[in-house]
Amino acid sequence: MAVDARVGTEVPPLVIAEVPVEPMKTVAALLHDSNPIHWDVEAVKALGMGDRVVNQGPNNMAYIVTMLADWAGGPDRVRGLRVRFLGNVLAGDRLTARGVVTAVREEGGERLADLDVRLERAEDDRVLDGTAVVALG
Amino acid sequence: MAIAVEELEALVGKAFPGGQYTIEPYRHWLMQDAVGGPATREGTASPMEAYYGALAGMGLSVDELFALVGATADDGPMFGEAGIDVRRPLRIGETYRVSGGITGVVRKEGRKAGVFDIVTFRLELVGEDGELAAVSTNSFIFPRRD
Repeated sequence: MAVDARVGTEVPPLVIAEVPVEPMKTVAALLHDSNPIHWDVEAVKALGMGDRVVNQGPNNMAYIVTMLADWAGGPDRVRGLRVRFLGNVLAGDRLTARGVVTAVREEGGERLADLDVRLERAEDDRVLDGTAVVALG
Repeated sequence: MAIAVEELEALVGKAFPGGQYTIEPYRHWLMQDAVGGPATREGTASPMEAYYGALAGMGLSVDELFALVGATADDGPMFGEAGIDVRRPLRIGETYRVSGGITGVVRKEGRKAGVFDIVTFRLELVGEDGELAAVSTNSFIFPRRD
């Protein structure tokens, strides 16, 4: 299925109503991530970082991938993603992933879209931003 | 004492031991379930596997990577940037050969942040067909407080 996209097209946003705690434990185990700020709230308190555990950075990146794959028709359509991590995401945060097409081009017989992407708590509170390349089919 | 910048710059071009990474079906399901993606055990894998595979297959633990640049987790290293370029779809169940190393080191000083180093590393994932399947480029920021 081909995706209709032109410069300025907005990707349907992906909303994470409340960043959950339990998946951070699964991800810590799968990634062998020993940092307790992702799963032990007492460690977070001891570090003076508040009273909510901190989401793993790659999870925030994955929300963008999910948004793009949903829009473009599958994970094979997401060809590239480059992001900057701008801030911590805490358990319970409400997040919105957004993307907007900045260019549509042909490469190797394929239609590709370049996008600006971001993940935010609010418009002026971005936790991640970057660029992506998606095949339009 | 922070590692000397000359010592750090000498790491540019240093190859990691490398290794292999298999997109295990159960692992793919669990990871995607955890991040709200399509939890599947067969077919095309999430592009995020390029990122997971690069870190898992580089042949160093994250702590060993930190030690290589004269840092520990207690120094409070942070993610800087992360990039994935998928050259062909990644497949659940496929094994990838992972290779790469440090490609850049920059020491900076910020008014608030003080001295910090940005260390960039690039890893390639080659599939069972011998083709380059994906490239993962990442940077960590290391505060140097002393």
